[in-house]
Amino acid sequence: MLSLVVVAVVALTTGFLVAGQVRARLLTPSNQVARYQALVRSVQDLEATNADIRGKIAALRAQIDALETEAAGRSAATQALRDQVADLRAHAGLTAMHGPGVEVRLANGVPGPDAGAQTGYLVNYQDVQDVVNLLFAQGAEGISVNGRRITPLTAYSGSAGQVIIDQGPPLSSPIKVTAVGDRNRMAAALDDSSALPDIRARQVQFQLHLIFVGSPDLQLPAYDSSLRIPHVVAS
Amino acid sequence: MSSRPRPSPRRRTSGRAVSVWLIALLVALVATVQIRSEAEVERTLVGIDTTSLAFLIDDLHRANESLQAESADLAQRKTTLESGGSGAADQVLSDEAKHLRAVEGLVPVHGPGVVITIDATGLTALDLQDALNNLAVGGAEAMAVNDRRVVAGVPIEQNGGGVAIDGVFVAAPWTITAIGDSNRIAEVADAMTLQLRADRRVRQASYRIEADVPIKAVISEKPFVYAIGS
Repeated sequence: MLSLVVVAVVALTTGFLVAGQVRARLLTPSNQVARYQALVRSVQDLEATNADIRGKIAALRAQIDALETEAAGRSAATQALRDQVADLRAHAGLTAMHGPGVEVRLANGVPGPDAGAQTGYLVNYQDVQDVVNLLFAQGAEGISVNGRRITPLTAYSGSAGQVIIDQGPPLSSPIKVTAVGDRNRMAAALDDSSALPDIRARQVQFQLHLIFVGSPDLQLPAYDSSLRIPHVVAS
Repeated sequence: MSSRPRPSPRRRTSGRAVSVWLIALLVALVATVQIRSEAEVERTLVGIDTTSLAFLIDDLHRANESLQAESADLAQRKTTLESGGSGAADQVLSDEAKHLRAVEGLVPVHGPGVVITIDATGLTALDLQDALNNLAVGGAEAMAVNDRRVVAGVPIEQNGGGVAIDGVFVAAPWTITAIGDSNRIAEVADAMTLQLRADRRVRQASYRIEADVPIKAVISEKPFVYAIGS
């Protein structure tokens, strides 16, 4: 009889404690989840809009190109201007290109034992920036990152594990950097153990992945975002 | 008068046991709900926290506004081409050539912006690349360092004890000139110089906003050797 009373008291106490816990915490995580899901939905909606507009931009550029080709067919002066613009567009990354080069693959490593506050195992935007800068310094003539073309105005940002390039959606591991140019020179630079010191250190510490392969023919897509410079006036 | 049958001790015990089991079941149920609720939070938060999501939303809003503006410009250009003859095409092409030359750093430019001065010993090419990237993220549309024009693709390398831009050594102090939305760039410049002043290598870091910043330096376009238009 006494044991049953004890069990009942313990069960009741546990019930009160659980009820307290429910009031204090169960609702909070539920709200957190709802808030988080609302934020995720916003990101997804914005990314869908982003993709739509980029698709529209690519389509408009193709239509403009067709109209310019038509006009160039009627005038030698227009044709000369169009040739100039075609060359400028190619250097700005506005046209697709192909050629020999290297493909660099960057992927997340594994968290360290004290991984709570460390994000060194994640590929970040500085890693991508460093690889792209190295490749340009070694003669790359055009580069894309996960299918996003790098332009003269390209800027990199993001938080841990996320890479944002220009106005594109966030990219995450694995990241593929494709560079067209002097394949041997770029491969030699990537092989140099003194290059990319931060990535090399994290390869050792977190098994961050950095591998590359050369190829005789790689494709680069055209840039599909904005190159607006509204505050700049050509002198 | 019949007396109510008293429950047998066995039935009483079994009733209490059921009550205890019900309570235990309830406790287990609530605990399970609680644990699953927390697990759901853990699972959905993997990889990105709410603060980062909020920043991401801000970035995407800004990106989409910029894309919309580009789309509107292109639609206008298309309308002009559709409505005019070769004269309209020549104008559209000339305007685009002028714009792309500015984008690629092939012509001198000017506009509102900031001038940042950094006097330091031991800053590296990576430091300069990071500084220029931060300014670009913050809205810089054209930049130069010590009168050397910089766009993405211009090599900034460690050259012995110093930093070289496109093969030319740039000695301290560095003067970084950036054209763009002055308010946005000034915010970046403010944070950057504050951080630099805390760096032992840095003797001085400051910036000033100017209504019209000239960038006279230009880049020579390098012809493609390996790349072929698709």
